[in-house]
Amino acid sequence: MDLFQNLAAAAPQLFTVSTMLLMMVGTLAGLLAGAIPGFTIAMAVVLVLPFTFTMSAVQGLATMIAVYVGGLSGGLMSGILTGIPGTPSSVATTFDGYPLARSGKPGLALGIGVWSSFFGGVIASIVLMVVAPQLALIGLEFQPVDYFALIIFALTVTASLAGDQMLKGLMAALFGLLVATVGSDVVFGQPRFTFGIDSATQGFAFLPVLVGLFAFSRLLNDVRDPEAAHKALGGHDAHAVNIDYIHSAKEVLKRWGNVIRSSIIGVFVGVLPAAGSTISNILAYDQAKKTSREHEEFGKGAVDGIIAPESANNATAGGALIVMMALGLPGDIMTAIMLGALLIHDVIPSPSFISDEPVIAYSIFLAFFVANFMMLALQSVTLRGFVLVTKVKMYMLTAVILFYCALGIFALNNVGYDMWTLFIFGVVGFVLRAFGFPIVPMVLGVVLGQIAEARLSQVFARSDDITIFLSRPWSLFFLLLAAFSIFFPSYQKHRGKAAWTKYYPPALLFVMALPVFMMPGFIRPSIAVAMAVGGIALAVMRLREPARPKEEVQQ
Amino acid sequence: MSLNRDFFVALFFLILSGVMFVATFQLPPPMFGQMSPALWPRIILVPLALLAFVLLISSQRGEAEEQPRRSLGEWFGYYRNPIVCFALFFLFLVTMPVLGMLIGGLAYVFLTLSVLGGWKPRQLLLHAVITAVFVVGMWAIFTLLLGVFLPEGALLRVF
Repeated sequence: MDLFQNLAAAAPQLFTVSTMLLMMVGTLAGLLAGAIPGFTIAMAVVLVLPFTFTMSAVQGLATMIAVYVGGLSGGLMSGILTGIPGTPSSVATTFDGYPLARSGKPGLALGIGVWSSFFGGVIASIVLMVVAPQLALIGLEFQPVDYFALIIFALTVTASLAGDQMLKGLMAALFGLLVATVGSDVVFGQPRFTFGIDSATQGFAFLPVLVGLFAFSRLLNDVRDPEAAHKALGGHDAHAVNIDYIHSAKEVLKRWGNVIRSSIIGVFVGVLPAAGSTISNILAYDQAKKTSREHEEFGKGAVDGIIAPESANNATAGGALIVMMALGLPGDIMTAIMLGALLIHDVIPSPSFISDEPVIAYSIFLAFFVANFMMLALQSVTLRGFVLVTKVKMYMLTAVILFYCALGIFALNNVGYDMWTLFIFGVVGFVLRAFGFPIVPMVLGVVLGQIAEARLSQVFARSDDITIFLSRPWSLFFLLLAAFSIFFPSYQKHRGKAAWTKYYPPALLFVMALPVFMMPGFIRPSIAVAMAVGGIALAVMRLREPARPKEEVQQ
Repeated sequence: MSLNRDFFVALFFLILSGVMFVATFQLPPPMFGQMSPALWPRIILVPLALLAFVLLISSQRGEAEEQPRRSLGEWFGYYRNPIVCFALFFLFLVTMPVLGMLIGGLAYVFLTLSVLGGWKPRQLLLHAVITAVFVVGMWAIFTLLLGVFLPEGALLRVF
C-alpha cells in the first residue's frame, strides 16, 4: 500500500510539463548518443549533468535517467542498421539484428529491438519499485563495519571483471582509493598529501576526476589513430527506414518467456557492482541460444537473438538503480554520475534514503518507468537524426566535447581548480588505458574512497577490536564474497581444466552459509542450512564424478 | 632483466607507494582516540605495493604482453594526436585568466579541430563554423540561460 501512496505523492512532482519536456529531450539525446558508435552512454550522462545543476533534484535526475534509458536503447539502431554496435551494451544485438536487416527486414529487426528494450525496461522498473524498498530495509541492518566490507566487495568484484587484467584491476581500484585520500582527512579535516600546495587541500572532486578518467581518456583514444579520427561516426551504411511496430510487437509477445528471462538476467547483472549492460546482453543472448528450439537460426537473423540482448541491457539499468537507491552505492559509471547529481542537490543516498526522501526516490522509480515509454515513442524520430549524425567525423565530436567537458566541470563549483583536476586525470586515464589498466575500478575507487574511510573511522570510534569484521554476519558475508571474487577470474579461466575448479561452486555455497546462518530470524538461518547441505551434496557429486582422461582435458 | 611496459608500471607504483608511505609519517597524530589520518592511506598503500611487486615479478617472468618496440620519434608519432590535444588543453587552461572561457574556448576548439582535421582552406572554413556555432552556443546557454558566471578573462575586461 505504501508503494502506491508514495507513487501518488511523487507523481505530481514528476508529471509537470517542464519535467516531461526535459525528459523527452533527455531521451532523444540518449537515443542519439547511444546510436553513435564510440560515444558511450556514460559520456552522454556526463554531458547532461551540468544542465541539471539549475534544475530541482527531481527534474535533474529524471532528465539523467531519460538519457540513460535512451542511451541503452539507442545502440540498437546502429547495431541493426550498420552492424556496428552503438554501445557495448548492444554488441549481441548485432549478431542477429544485422543479418535480419540485411535480409530485407530492417523495419522488423528495429521494431523487435525497440519493443524488447521497452519490455525489458518496464519489467525492470516494476522490479525496481518492489525490490529497492525491501533491499533498503535490509540495508538498515548495516552498521559501518558492514558498509566498509560491502565497499571492499564492490571494489574486488569490479577488479575481477577485468578478467586477465585482474592484477591491474585491483591496482587501479587501490590507486583510485589513494587519489581519494588527497586533500584533507575525513575525520579531522587536516591537510593530507598536499605537499605544500594550498589548493590541493580541496582534494579532488570526484566528478572532474570521473570525467577526466573516463570521457577525456576515451575520446583521445578514439582520435589516436589519424585515420580513425577522420572517419564518419557510423560509417556510410545507415539509412532511414520505417519501424514495423505492429508486426514486431506480435513477434516479441509470442516470445514472452525469453523477454522475462532476459530481463531478469539484466536486473540481476545490474545489481552486481560494475557488471553492467556490457555483460548482461551477452549473457542473455547466450541463455536464449541455449534454450531456444531454433538455436541453429542464431547468427542468421533469429528474432530471439534480438529480443534477449535488448531486453537485458535495458533491464540492467533497473538493477543498477536498485543498489544505488537502496544502499547508496554506485555500481557503475552511470550510477556514480547520478550519485554525484544527488549530492549536488544535497540528497545523500543511503539505506534510509527511500524512507527519508520518498518523493525523490519514487520520482526516480517513476521516471525510469516513463522514460521507457518515451523511448518507444521517440525511436522513429531519432532514427532520422541518427542517419544525419553518422556523417559527423570523430575528431569534430572530440574537439567540441573536450571543450564542453571543461565548461561543464567549471560550472560544477565555479572554480578553475576543477578544470585542472579534469586535465590531470585526463592524462592519468589516458596513460593508464595505454598501459592496459581498466578504468572502471579506479573510478569506483575514487567515488567510494571517502565513504570507505568515513565508515572505517566510525568502526574504530566504537572499538579497536578488528574481530568485528568477522563477527558481524553482513561484514563476514561481503568479505568472504570479496575473497571468492578475487579467485573468480582464475576459476573462469581454468574451469573444466583444473581439478580445483570442480570444488569452487560447492565451496562458495558452503562457506557463504556461515554468515547467512549468523543472521537474525528464522528464514535466513534456514536458507543457510539449505546452502550448506547443497554445498556438501554438490561436493560429493563432484567427488564421485569419474576423472576425465588427460587427452580430453587438454583438448 | 626485461625492461617491458609492465616493469616500468610496477616500478612507478612501487616508488609511488614508498613516497606516499613515507609521507604518512608527516601527518598529524590522531586526537581524542579517533582513527589516525595515516591509517587509511597505509591500509591502501601496503596492498598496492605488494601488487606492484607481483606485477614486477610477472613482468620479469615473461608473462607481460608483448608490445611493439618504438623509438622516441615513433612513439611521438604514434601518440601525436592525444599529445597535441593535451598540450592545447593545457594552453587553454593556462591562458584562461587572460582569454577567458569564450575567446579561449574559440581558440582551443578551432586549433584542436584544425590540428586533428587539417589546414586546407575548406577545412578551416568548416572548423570556423563549427567553432563559432558550438562554442558561442554553449557559452550563451551557460551564461544567459543557466546563469553560470564563466571566466571572462582580462582581455574582454579591458575592451
